[in-house]
Amino acid sequence: MNILTVQDLCKTYGAGDTKVEALKNVSFAVSKGEFVSVIGPSGSGKSTLLNMIGALDYPTSGKVIIDGRDIYTMKEEELSVFRRRNIGFVFQAYNLVPELNVEENIALPILLDYKKPDQQYIDELLGILGLAERKRHLPGQLSGGQQQRVAIGRALAAKPAIILADEPTGNLDSKNSRDVINLLKLSVERYRQTLIMITHNQSYASFADRVLSVEDGVVAELGGGAR
Amino acid sequence: MNGYLDLAHKYQAAHKKRTRLSIFSIVLSVALVVGIFSMLDVFLKFEKIQVINDYGNYHLLVNNATDGEKEAISSRIDVKNTGTLVAFKSGSINGNQCDIVALSDNFAANMSMNLIKGNYPEAENEMMIENWAAEKLGAGIGDTVSFAFADETERPFVISGIFADYGGTKATGEPGVAVSMEAAAKASVEKTGIFLIEFKEQANIKKAEQEIKESLGISDERMGRNDRLLAVIGQSDHKAAVGLYQAGAILFFIVLVAGVVMIYNTFNISVMDRMRSFGLLRCVGASKAQIRRLVKKEGFLLLRWAIPGGVLLGMAATLFCCALLKFYNSYIFSEIPLFTISPTGILAGVALGVLTVAIATLLPAKKASRVSPVNAVTGNSEIRVRKVQQAGILTKLLPVESAMGIGSAAARKKTLVLMSASIALSIMMFLGFNVFVDFLHTSLKTTKPYTPDISLTSEESLSPDLYSQLSHLPGIKHVYGRMFGYVSATFDASRLTEEYVNEVGSIEVNAGGLFEAPEKSWLISYDKNQLKWAKTDLVEGELSEDTLNAQDGIIAVLQNIRKGVSVRTAELHVGDKVYIDTVAGKKPFTVMAVLRTVPFADSNLNLATFITTEKQYTAITGDSTLKIIDIQLEKNGQEETVSEIKRMIGSNITYLDSRQKNSEMNQTFFTMAVFVYGFVVVIALISILNIVSTMNTSVTSKMRYLGVLRAVGMSGKQLNRMITAEASAYCITGAVAGCILGILLQKALITQLLTSLKIVWVFPLVQIVCVFAAALLATRLSVIGPLKKIKAKSISENIGSLQ
Ligand SMILES: Nc1ncnc2c1ncn2[C@@H]1O[C@H](COP(=O)(O)OP(=O)(O)OP(=O)(O)O)[C@@H](O)[C@H]1O
Ligand SMILES: [Mg+2]
Repeated sequence: MNILTVQDLCKTYGAGDTKVEALKNVSFAVSKGEFVSVIGPSGSGKSTLLNMIGALDYPTSGKVIIDGRDIYTMKEEELSVFRRRNIGFVFQAYNLVPELNVEENIALPILLDYKKPDQQYIDELLGILGLAERKRHLPGQLSGGQQQRVAIGRALAAKPAIILADEPTGNLDSKNSRDVINLLKLSVERYRQTLIMITHNQSYASFADRVLSVEDGVVAELGGGAR
Repeated sequence: MNGYLDLAHKYQAAHKKRTRLSIFSIVLSVALVVGIFSMLDVFLKFEKIQVINDYGNYHLLVNNATDGEKEAISSRIDVKNTGTLVAFKSGSINGNQCDIVALSDNFAANMSMNLIKGNYPEAENEMMIENWAAEKLGAGIGDTVSFAFADETERPFVISGIFADYGGTKATGEPGVAVSMEAAAKASVEKTGIFLIEFKEQANIKKAEQEIKESLGISDERMGRNDRLLAVIGQSDHKAAVGLYQAGAILFFIVLVAGVVMIYNTFNISVMDRMRSFGLLRCVGASKAQIRRLVKKEGFLLLRWAIPGGVLLGMAATLFCCALLKFYNSYIFSEIPLFTISPTGILAGVALGVLTVAIATLLPAKKASRVSPVNAVTGNSEIRVRKVQQAGILTKLLPVESAMGIGSAAARKKTLVLMSASIALSIMMFLGFNVFVDFLHTSLKTTKPYTPDISLTSEESLSPDLYSQLSHLPGIKHVYGRMFGYVSATFDASRLTEEYVNEVGSIEVNAGGLFEAPEKSWLISYDKNQLKWAKTDLVEGELSEDTLNAQDGIIAVLQNIRKGVSVRTAELHVGDKVYIDTVAGKKPFTVMAVLRTVPFADSNLNLATFITTEKQYTAITGDSTLKIIDIQLEKNGQEETVSEIKRMIGSNITYLDSRQKNSEMNQTFFTMAVFVYGFVVVIALISILNIVSTMNTSVTSKMRYLGVLRAVGMSGKQLNRMITAEASAYCITGAVAGCILGILLQKALITQLLTSLKIVWVFPLVQIVCVFAAALLATRLSVIGPLKKIKAKSISENIGSLQ
């Protein structure tokens, strides 16, 4: 079963002289539980693709279907709800809410849904993320790696079907990076989630089930990773 | 780039929106200062004309001055004009009672005695009269009338001229007559000579007064001052005037503080947001002093645009006030040009603008220079460590988005305090000024719901027919009649004021504690409508026609009218007994309500004033005919209605026209109110714009963070709620603090200053509701712009935005 289908996706920025075709007729599908990594040179359109999949921006043409639903036909309000329940984001910069502590940051998507966070699950997550000792700290009091782990925790909190990660290890050293990737992989396997991750590092790409390469707005399949 | 200071230009060019916002807030504060100085300047000009119109254009007066004294004073170098006014007791003209004065020709204009037709009276048998009186008497220029001073010996006088109406005499129906100085000199009746002095513009009047007193040996009792005019030109040492000057200085200071706070706030936020970039600059080798200079340079770059803009805006505000007043009364304010440029105002605005920016940039500049280079490397510098456990509480109590909004307002403690303080300040000013305006409103006797335009009175009585005819006349809004008469009334002697007891000499008190009434009391009847209207003057008790009738109630009035002068003769309270000689013998009545005043004048020496219902009135006096009919006219076609009324009434009915007097009263009030509320509006505007700009900066600086929240799944509605919660945190804290302090201030002002006027403090519910409505409106207003800005961009753009 395909959890995600991308059909003829095009995105053009600007017009005239400054026109950039960031995505050109991109089509592919991802099935449930897959770990897909996206690689490609800088400026090739990787972030653009991820933004389109997460409906953080609208395409010039084309469709993205997640869990059988065409996300661009949804109204803003509906889309927000859909997003917080089904999609988790991890950004290169950690982008945490500075006023909320670690625990609150992680529970944020659930709180936004006006639900009571499942404390047991949050504690479990904090444990996996190695943040149990730090749960009352504010983001400003954490190291870069810790902040990124909080961001991952936030992406996982609502048990979304898809996790979109844009260079989650970009700011981290190699040990921290490996920890983060392992964490993502662990979670994906444990909760049968789908992960799409952009990375510059070939060796991390090899952790994935599939590798997509983006070059000049065109997406190509590179086949399986290490497995 | 030529030097590091060019960074200031670069920064402003790169952040056009924020720069515009900062310029805007400086423009406002400069406008504020220019506006207030100019408004004050213009206000004094207007008020001076108003006072001259109401009280006359003279500064000092000397009673019964000798020719030598007059000569000496007139020849002083600082004296502009002098004149003699001779006041007489009322006499009669063609059998009608009239007010008589004589005034030197050269001083007539000073006292607003403006000749319309004919010549100023000169010969011994010449006089001039008011325009309305001439019409009423059917007399024209050259006609001879039969005139008598108070001694009642009639003499023929020729009308040499006609002068413009005085509102006051028109309303009482006694024509104003000005006889020639010749006639005044020859008249051998009781008269008072008053020598009036107008000084030149720059004269030091206090000093001059002292000199005149000393050199001519004039006693204090003989000198008088036109205190209101002296107050307006800033030369009064009268207690009330000094109080007013002090209040003005305080207000001024508050406005100044508000301006500084506003600019400081904008700068502070902008600097706080850039801690990181300042840290970076420090990393690459900028010294503390350089950073400080950079921030200051930024501040002064803003001034280049803000000062001219502010000056223009301030002038526009002044123009608006002038236009409003001139529109309201184009006649007496005709001398003031519509567009008044006040150099003092502009200079003050520019100077204070520069000063304000200097003060407002100094502190952020210092702060910026203190940023450690470490801040550049470790991300979040804006939020410093709070008490750790404090964090989780809000999200448990409120929906998360509201909690986050309030949290981010609370995190910027300084901004929160400044914002709330500025909002609280304007609310306090509003509530405080309200007392002032209320006071003016009561003390100036401006038109109230019951103020009649025209009154008809008669020595005999007015027929019920006339009443019903009038009620059906088109062009008439309300007709209401009153009966009044004089009855013998007595009550507990201890209720009489000392003032009254001293005035009448001795009071005989009988065994029951009641006194023998030395004079009669004025008894007036009110109908239902009039009772309802009287509510605004209610001090104690309750006004209900039914209870008054059922329980033999009566209403006492604090300000009693004795011969046209307000005097407090008795302090009656609810529950006191009043014994009145009715047609059926002496009968006790119970005071059920106490009113501050009645809106009518009376020329009898009244012991006290009482009001009762029509039914009770008839029971007491046996009389049921109306003595007075008050008429309120519709706005349009008044002249036709008036001539219709005149046609309807016979010669035995006196027609009194109060319209001119009413509008003069209103005008005096209006002139003050325009400026008083002008101040309040300006202050309120600052607070509103302050919060708008704070929200704008706050949102602009969080674009990226808000984008992330959206990516995490915050919906548009939740976003609205979050931003609104942040704005509300500022507004509500400000409004609550402002209301509490404002109410305290109001209470203090009223109990300290106005208890003697029997104005009682009531909870200002309406104002509080208005304040909160305005606060909510400001909240709404302040979030519109920022929300639009966020939503105009896609989420990924917001996340990608450089902030
Ligand atoms: N908002 C935008 N307006 C105009 N052009 C844009 C915008 N966002 C991205 N682009 C352009 O689209 C192209 C793809 O950008 P994208 O951010 O997807 O690259 P990327 O593959 O993520 O690069 P990197 O690995 O450096 O992050 C680039 O050429 C970029 O200049
Ligand atoms: Mg990218």
